[in-house]
Amino acid sequence: MQPHLTSVPAAAPLEARRRRRVRRSALLFALIAAAFYFAFIVMTLVRGWK
Amino acid sequence: MAEPLSPAASHDEHDHKPHGWRRWVYATNHKDIGTMYLIFACTMFFIGGFMAMLIRLELFKPGLQFFDPQFFNSMTTMHALIMIFGAVMPAWTGLANWMVPMQVGAPDMALPRLNNFSFWILPFAFTLLLSSLFVPGGAPAGGWTMYPPLVLQTGASFPMLVFSIHLMGASSILGAINIVVTIMNMRAPGMTLLRMPLFVWTWLITAYLLIAVMPVLAGAVTMLLTDHFFGTTFFTAAGGGDPVMFQHIFWFFGHPEVYILILPAFGIVSEVIPTFSRKPLFGYEAMVYAVASIAFLSFIVWAHHMFTVGMPLAAQLFFMLSTMLIAVPTGVKVFNWTATMWKGSLSFEPPMLFALAFLFLFSIGGFSGLMLAMVPADYQYQDTYFVVAHFHYVLVPGSIFGIMAGVYYWLPKWTGHMYDLKLATWHFWLSAIFVNVLFFPQHFLGLAGMPRRIPDYAVQFTDWNMVSSIGGFGFGLAQLLFPYIIWKCVRSGARVGNKAWEGAHGLEWELPSPPPFHSWTTPPSDSVIARGAAH
Repeated sequence: MQPHLTSVPAAAPLEARRRRRVRRSALLFALIAAAFYFAFIVMTLVRGWK
Repeated sequence: MAEPLSPAASHDEHDHKPHGWRRWVYATNHKDIGTMYLIFACTMFFIGGFMAMLIRLELFKPGLQFFDPQFFNSMTTMHALIMIFGAVMPAWTGLANWMVPMQVGAPDMALPRLNNFSFWILPFAFTLLLSSLFVPGGAPAGGWTMYPPLVLQTGASFPMLVFSIHLMGASSILGAINIVVTIMNMRAPGMTLLRMPLFVWTWLITAYLLIAVMPVLAGAVTMLLTDHFFGTTFFTAAGGGDPVMFQHIFWFFGHPEVYILILPAFGIVSEVIPTFSRKPLFGYEAMVYAVASIAFLSFIVWAHHMFTVGMPLAAQLFFMLSTMLIAVPTGVKVFNWTATMWKGSLSFEPPMLFALAFLFLFSIGGFSGLMLAMVPADYQYQDTYFVVAHFHYVLVPGSIFGIMAGVYYWLPKWTGHMYDLKLATWHFWLSAIFVNVLFFPQHFLGLAGMPRRIPDYAVQFTDWNMVSSIGGFGFGLAQLLFPYIIWKCVRSGARVGNKAWEGAHGLEWELPSPPPFHSWTTPPSDSVIARGAAH
């Protein structure tokens, strides 16, 4: 079994990888949310121009 | 044996238990943040509930009794906004904060500081919204749906409404991101996706819905804001804009929002029924796929909220049929819950009572939803009390009873004390009886043609309105038992062991009651996970 968060040297790279993954996926979801926000505004804008 | 963590290892600088106000203001512990969410939701539930009492007071008799129509409309608008965004959604997030890390074997949420930020946005958002009651022109009164052009006539409270919705949306999105990231990255080794408890599954899917649709609402209200203050005409017909477009955008958010409010209740009922039936959940995988199907379908049904605005026949048929399709995965779930109870060794403690009431009464809301999905029938029911009855059956004995079931199920785990079961049973029966006295007559009123969002009505609607108001007062008073039961439990409840309920399964029941400030600093073993995932 492996601890989640540890300062034990052997598990450090695992933990660092997990932190990177957490940061990356959080940013990805934030980008998706921002994309939905702007996409709907742009869509309404484009529709108004027609 | 799992290797214990060194003191410096568990959570950097917040591995000790802080004291005083700092514990709450700077909270990064998922249990503390969960507690704050739940207390906040409970407070909002009573504020929103008080507004509902005022509404029912005014509607007790025909004629204008106490309030002017503007204030009445403010109450209906604020009641909805507070109950949806202030009570139900934060209650689910509170339950997720408490339970998701414990159920997946994680020591905390993946992003604890973001978690703190997500919570602390909320008191500011609702202070802003509630203070709009005191500005010139009063609180927003155009309905929680904020349809233009009506909403653009709102007075000084309009920017407060828009900004508070932005804040609520930001809080929900950040909370949802945290939950998805936690579930995807922080599960204990061996906790595969199909070993996760149903509550975690339903929250994972709910979080995806939140990330997709809350920004859509934010975009819609941003456009309202620019229409109001910056001369744009997104939704102003006079400038070439399209007010109906707002309705499409709003309901693209609004229908998935309904499932955001109800899916976690499906998860809780899927935990409670097996526990008190002393049987594994029937059709675990089918339940997961059913929840995912419901979430997917929720994106393609939005226009059933607006059949009467006029749309092509093909669109009407599409939205009618896609809406009816939701009954299939929902039916799978109801069938599986029933099959779980079949030949089980049932007992009827308060969580089970609330879950059973959920099953019956949510189904009533589902059936009236099917009636509303039929285009020709909807033309008759549109904007009547039938719609009010329908969505209250979904949200009160649905979402609220789901929350009650969850709180009564996990309260002994959180506090380490058993609550007064007799008093909680009273709370259940009073709630279950009065919720029907409150909302069932509204079906009759709607079918007889009483419109919604009016402070006065024709005299022929008097009797059922009186019955409904009596039910409302009874239901409201019964809810006062809830905080008392919790307070009494914390103060003087009998001590409970790890497993408060004999038939309970899941990782949370492997932890002591109450769980330590930092739980699962060492992940559970595979055998513990397998024992917990007894479905």
